[in-house]
This record gives sequence, structure tokens and C-alpha cells, in this order.
Amino acid sequence: MANHTQNPETTVHRHEEIQRKLALKEERKHHNVSFVMMILLTIVAFFAIWSDKISDSFAVLFILTLAVVQVFFQLYVWMHLSHKGHDFPIWGMASGILVAAITVASLMGLIWTS
Amino acid sequence: MNAGERLTDANFPAHPEKATLEGKNKFLGFWLFLGGETVLFATLFGTYLGLRNMHLDGPSGEELFSLPLVFLATMLLLTSSLTSVYAVLSLKQNKVRSLQGWFLVTLLLGLGFLGLEIYEFIHYVHEGHTFTSSAFGSAFYTLVGFHGAHVLFGILWITTLLARNWNRGITLSNAPKYYLFALYWHFVDVVWVFIFTVVYLMGKVG
Repeated sequence: MANHTQNPETTVHRHEEIQRKLALKEERKHHNVSFVMMILLTIVAFFAIWSDKISDSFAVLFILTLAVVQVFFQLYVWMHLSHKGHDFPIWGMASGILVAAITVASLMGLIWTS
Repeated sequence: MNAGERLTDANFPAHPEKATLEGKNKFLGFWLFLGGETVLFATLFGTYLGLRNMHLDGPSGEELFSLPLVFLATMLLLTSSLTSVYAVLSLKQNKVRSLQGWFLVTLLLGLGFLGLEIYEFIHYVHEGHTFTSSAFGSAFYTLVGFHGAHVLFGILWITTLLARNWNRGITLSNAPKYYLFALYWHFVDVVWVFIFTVVYLMGKVG
């Protein structure tokens, strides 16, 4: 029966391993939910245009909003920005997105006014 | 420990992709690169948005685009993004065969996407929509083609990465490489979400 008594170190190790397995299981669930959400958002955006029932200007705003929501799912769930130790990547991406928004606005403005 | 040594379940770190200084640097550097890529694609999107109605005598986006085809392409790429995140989950569990399997599925879906895009471009050229037919043509092929080139690059990247490391298991040296490829692939999907919305869906409402 001696081999049934575990030393404290292996118990801690086992405990950590169970914690990690649970965390991974949770993560997999988040990935699946995120996938279903993105499929749904794509389908909604597709039908908003395909059905031709929504006014054009509203439809454009609507599908752009859906695209932005989808991107947040990608960045935060699939690219793990929600995980610990991602402060630097968040700043990198946020500044990239900021410059990107200014770039799109100014290029469109330049072409329109010319 | 040697970074090229096959990791075992006993010595497997919680974050193999960031367990070495090199891995940490790659991780930070790659995110900076993605921030820069965002700006690069923004220049192409801005130009396209400004020029998208200038199609001269050629067909307009509304006449050209076939939404069902693009919808199918979107689903392929979205699913490939999921399979690559599954590969990362396998990476975190030191399951190298399952990692290889999910990346192979990602690769196949990426090839499917690229095939659809090539078919689409050939079809457009026959309709008189070419790179030089109008400002709309140039802006369209530059933006969508540049994304397609990113998909092609990703396909070559994962093919060589898998082939080179096929029998090596997961090591501290290749874990960051697998991880970064998955980040890249998600980013390519992020860009496609905007191409699908801005180019194709918005193209249909004029």
C-alpha cells in the first residue's frame, strides 16, 4: 500500500495539470463560440445586402459594424489578445488601427477632393 | 536545455512559444509587424474606396461580383482560421500529430480559397475587368490580389514549416514558429473580413 501515499510535490504537480487541462477546455469552448458567432455575423451581413430590404446607407453602416465586431472576436479570442502578457501587442495593434483609420480617411478625402 | 530538443510532457512549459528569449522577441516583433501590415492594407483600402466607382467603360462591381462564390470563399477562410487555432491548442498540449493534422486541414482550406480566387479573377478578365481597364480595376486587383498573395505566402510558409519539422516533435525552437504562423493566418482572415464587407458587399449597394 506504500505506493498509494503520494508525496506533496506530485500532488501539487497533478493539481496544476488538472488546472491547465480545465483552462484549455475552457479555451476550446471560447474558440468554438467565437467561430459560430463569426459565421452568424457573416451570414447576417450577407443577407442584409442579398435581401435588398434595408436602405443602402443603413446597410453599409450595419455591415461595417458587423465586420468590426468580427475582428474583435479574431483578435481577442483567436489571436489570444485577451490572455495575460499581451499589453505590448495590444498597443502595437491599437496604434496600427489608429494610423489605418487616419490613412483610409485621408486617402478617400484626397481622391474625392481632386 | 537545448532549444532543438524534443519536449516531453514532463518538461513541457506552460507557454512553449514564449519560453525562450528568442521566442519572446519573435512574439513581440511579429505583433509589431501585424500593426504595420494593418496600415499597409489601410492604404490599399483607402485607395480602393476612393476609386471604386471609376470603372470607365468596363463593368462595375455591382455587375461583376458574384456573392455566393465570395461567401463560399469567406467560409473556407473562416474555417481555416478555426483549424489553425485548434493546432495552437494541440501545441499547448504537446500533441504534435494533432498539430500537424490541423495545420494540414488549414493548408487545404487555404488552397481551396486561393483556387476560388484564381477562378474569380480569370472570370473577371473575360468580362473585361483587368488591372489596366480602369482605376477601379487597378485598385481592385491591387487590394484583393495583395491579400491573395498573403494567402499564397501563408501556404508556402506552413508547407515548409511542417516539412522541415515533421519528425522533430515540438521543441522550444519550433513552438514560436508554429504559433506565429497561426497569428499570421488569423490576420489574413481579419483582412478578408474587411475585403468581403468593403469590396464585395458594399460593391453590391453602390
